[in-house]
Amino acid sequence: MRLSDETSANSSDRQLFAGLMAAIADRQCRDSFAQLFEYFAPRLKGYMQQLGADPGEAEELAQEVMITVWRKAGQFDPAKASVSTWIFRIARNRRIDAHRRTRKPELDPDEPMLRPADPEQPDATLSRAQLEDTVRTQLATLPPEQLELLKAAFYQGLSHSEIAKAFDLPLGTVKSRIRLAFARLRGQLEDGAGP
Amino acid sequence: MSLPAPAPAYSPLYSAYVSGSLDPAFALLVETQAALRQDVREALEIGDIVAGVQLEATAPVAMGQGALDRTLSAIDLLEDKVGDSRSAAANASGALDELLTLPEPLRETALMAAGEKGWSYTGPGLRRLRLNVSDTVEAELHRIEPGAAVPRHTHEATEFTLVIQGGFSDETGSFGPGDIAVKGPEDTHTPVGDEDGVCIVLAVRDGGLRFKGLLGVVQRFLG
Repeated sequence: MRLSDETSANSSDRQLFAGLMAAIADRQCRDSFAQLFEYFAPRLKGYMQQLGADPGEAEELAQEVMITVWRKAGQFDPAKASVSTWIFRIARNRRIDAHRRTRKPELDPDEPMLRPADPEQPDATLSRAQLEDTVRTQLATLPPEQLELLKAAFYQGLSHSEIAKAFDLPLGTVKSRIRLAFARLRGQLEDGAGP
Repeated sequence: MSLPAPAPAYSPLYSAYVSGSLDPAFALLVETQAALRQDVREALEIGDIVAGVQLEATAPVAMGQGALDRTLSAIDLLEDKVGDSRSAAANASGALDELLTLPEPLRETALMAAGEKGWSYTGPGLRRLRLNVSDTVEAELHRIEPGAAVPRHTHEATEFTLVIQGGFSDETGSFGPGDIAVKGPEDTHTPVGDEDGVCIVLAVRDGGLRFKGLLGVVQRFLG
């Protein structure tokens, strides 16, 4: 497997990962598992360490995530998520169980979750594979200062006020940059979804 | 850019959920709402994709010697014990058919709670099931039969109520699947289950929630 470190996987890498998952699900292929392990376990360990786990704990958590990858391989559906997204979800859940370092929400007055359900659901949305492709394309073109804040919020789990402190930015700037970046991921999707 | 900006659907709740830093009771609320609503679901999916890409881009830290072999041995050990979880699920069955129709993130939690403590009677046509999801935030399911009225009450803390199925109405309006009603200490109300079927809601309650002029906004939405 020839993969570059520290950059996101390209589409042939992603196809390869999905093929490995299928081999694990269909015939409990240990070689395929070993290849996935080689790529993901060190990244999972890096992720857990970034979140504050010590190296021993981070290694254990990474192994536990990979065990779950093996056991739940049959539930992986390449039409619904990329392998990276799917493994991230497992890692997130493991992180919640392990740390319970949780926080209560900071809500804004225009909190979207409190809006009433929209009766006119858009019926023809993008497939998840298209969504993944589009978000990846958009991420690659985001200005670095927006990408950094998205990463801090969605991956590292910092609150807006923690981000403001870490990046030495006014709170309002943090909020508007993240909003802008997120809207860009979505806004372009809406454009692309047209006939 | 002359195009009108699309509605900003980002919420700090979504990034807290995606990253795993949100309190589990609120995470359950967000997940359940996503199961009921396309807009929320898509926002979370986008967040998960962003995080998945970041996982790829994370600097790898070498695993210890023999980590793969240790992992494979653990897998072998676990394969011998797969029967366990199935029998636990069978024990939780019984009069729980209704819970089986709940959207997935909630179903498992609810089945577990029903297996442990079961529903408690809270008034004519009313039942409550306490969910064990968070150390600091209370989460419970309420089952309201058609026409049943929850006695007039106030709230000690801020309470978020997500309608899962059916609907209820109170002095401020009607709530259907996917809607969230927010009530604070200053609110007194008498919710009544709608006539067209059993109403099930997920209520999440927390005294320490920071709350910034939200109620006025909610009332504006409810007209």
